[in-house]
Amino acid sequence: MRRDLLTSLVMIALGVGVLVESLRMPRFEHLGVNPYTVPGIVPGFLGAVIATLAFVMLVRTVVAWRRSGDVPVVAGDDEPGSAPRLLITIVLTVGYGGVLVGNVPFWLATFVFVLAFLLVFGWRADFADAARRAALLVYASLAVLQAGVVAAAVTFVFERIFLVTLP
Amino acid sequence: MLDGLGYFATAIVDLFSLGTLFNVAWATLLGISVGMLPGLTATLGLALLTTLTFKLAAGDAVMILICMYVGAIYGGSRSAILLNIPGTPANAATALDGFQLARAGRAGEAMGIATAGSFFGTLVGMLALAIFAPLLAETALGFQSYEFFWLAVFGVVISGRLTGMNDPLKGWIAGFLGLLVAMVGQEGVHAYARFAYGDPNLAGGFGLLPVLVGVFGFTEVLWVMKNPTYQAVKDAAGSVIPKIKAVVVHWITIIRSGLIGTFMGLVPGVGEDMGAWVSYAVARNTSRKKDEYGKGSVEGLISAETGNSAAVPGAIIPVLTLAIPGSAPAAVLLAALFIHGVRPGPLIMIENPAFVFHVTAMIFYASAAILVFGLLLTKPLLLVLRVSHIRLMPVIFVLCTVGAFAIASRLFDVWVMLGFGVLGLALRLLGFPMAPLVLGVVLGPILDVNLRRGLVLSDGSLMPFLTRPISVVLWVIILVTFMLGSEWFTSRLRRLTGRFMPKGPGDDGSPPPPGAP
Repeated sequence: MRRDLLTSLVMIALGVGVLVESLRMPRFEHLGVNPYTVPGIVPGFLGAVIATLAFVMLVRTVVAWRRSGDVPVVAGDDEPGSAPRLLITIVLTVGYGGVLVGNVPFWLATFVFVLAFLLVFGWRADFADAARRAALLVYASLAVLQAGVVAAAVTFVFERIFLVTLP
Repeated sequence: MLDGLGYFATAIVDLFSLGTLFNVAWATLLGISVGMLPGLTATLGLALLTTLTFKLAAGDAVMILICMYVGAIYGGSRSAILLNIPGTPANAATALDGFQLARAGRAGEAMGIATAGSFFGTLVGMLALAIFAPLLAETALGFQSYEFFWLAVFGVVISGRLTGMNDPLKGWIAGFLGLLVAMVGQEGVHAYARFAYGDPNLAGGFGLLPVLVGVFGFTEVLWVMKNPTYQAVKDAAGSVIPKIKAVVVHWITIIRSGLIGTFMGLVPGVGEDMGAWVSYAVARNTSRKKDEYGKGSVEGLISAETGNSAAVPGAIIPVLTLAIPGSAPAAVLLAALFIHGVRPGPLIMIENPAFVFHVTAMIFYASAAILVFGLLLTKPLLLVLRVSHIRLMPVIFVLCTVGAFAIASRLFDVWVMLGFGVLGLALRLLGFPMAPLVLGVVLGPILDVNLRRGLVLSDGSLMPFLTRPISVVLWVIILVTFMLGSEWFTSRLRRLTGRFMPKGPGDDGSPPPPGAP
């Protein structure tokens, strides 16, 4: 409910912003350009449609809110999930794609990323136990193996077989 | 009309070679695996393969992509039957009866039936492609900018309505956001860089494939990692070779579902999921054994799998003849065709007629491959479902990164992929569907050029947009879709009809309007 309210406000702002920016786009009058071909016309139209749809969403949300207190209308996907897992995934993936790739050799970046991913998510509480040291060792060496294989295979297959340039 | 079938037969012979068979084999197997893995959709598979095969010859690349597409939509039935998790959204209806059959110890039989259904569905759609694509292309020669403008709007509106099932408003907003995303960068008429603010990367616009890989790949990786993992299957009992009789009895269902699926594929923005759902609903309503549906009905299973597979060639028909995608995966295929220098559109039957029949023949090879692999490689394919998510997801993300980078070799595309992945996750958490967004990104340039061109041709008058025959049909459907999706309108309509008709429970199955008693 509150999410819908906030979303509709953001979308209205976006639509109006796009509309204003579209009006500010050049119209090339000094070039004698046909006024129906100016660049701002289509984004302006889209901005107006988005703002209108979002406004309908806002009205709907507010009306429903007033009628029934705080009952969610059509909420988003409320599937069970874990926010920490999601955050860790974002940190790892963005760290790889946004920072490592392009700054260190691709194979190294990939190796580090896959290994970190496997170690972080594959970590089980009992690994801390001294008696389970062997299991930890097995898991860690398998992770190193997979990271190595993925880094080598992706680099080889794409550079040599698909002839794709790697970052 | 039957000439098409002759050309199609020639194309099958033309394409036959060891290289072709090799490509068909690996691409279909990969497609089936992608389809089977929950979280990996046909759209993602196509987007990744497009970026990875763009250095190959056009014919080979398109062949590989079509095998991936057909294979993925079919492969999704495996996880639907064995895990009750549709491997791709198109297989949701398959899970209803397929999983019940599997629970009753008839998993093998269910997989066999699904394979036969997919095979025949693809064949029906393929024949429709060979016969109707040339006709549609001929009709489309009469389309002008006005019609193309409406087709672009039609695509996002219909897709928004159908994928945002319980909240079409969010589907439409997603669709128009997609159109807006396509506006960034240089436009085609005056080469003015919109929303670029002096940044050369933004002036180049957001590449379609990095956006797609972000929204369907990275978002999916995040989604899967957020959610708890599924239970892997241990074994499947029974023989998968379907009894010929069990399939033949349902020939009416197969043909009907095939035609429905093809039609659903053909309508811009509708796609495989609706192909399956509508076929399933029609089969159920006309069945003599209605009570069996949802409890392990073979007929229900066959209708769903025939419907979604037939939608694949169906969705390719408008890709080739109108350059407008029938579904989200078809949107990627369209982008791939452009990358490989094929120019789809109404002129295709004049400029490149052989290509349409080559595509038809490629679908034929792909369907033969799913039949062979589906029936012979049951056990090895089950191994795919045993791969743990934690091992798979980092690999998928590495492929997303390579895929986003590969097309233009610029790091900006990797950032676009990351940005749209996170944006996609946020929108998904807020209940916005992704398919209309993607369709919007593809249709944006079409809308842009044709709205302006139409206005120039009509000298600013809106009359041709509103009065030309095909335009009328399109905008009336769009208007009705908008009205039926609005609670304000439907509740008044219901009140109005309620005055004349006694109220029945759950008249239309739609969710009640907010605040309704």
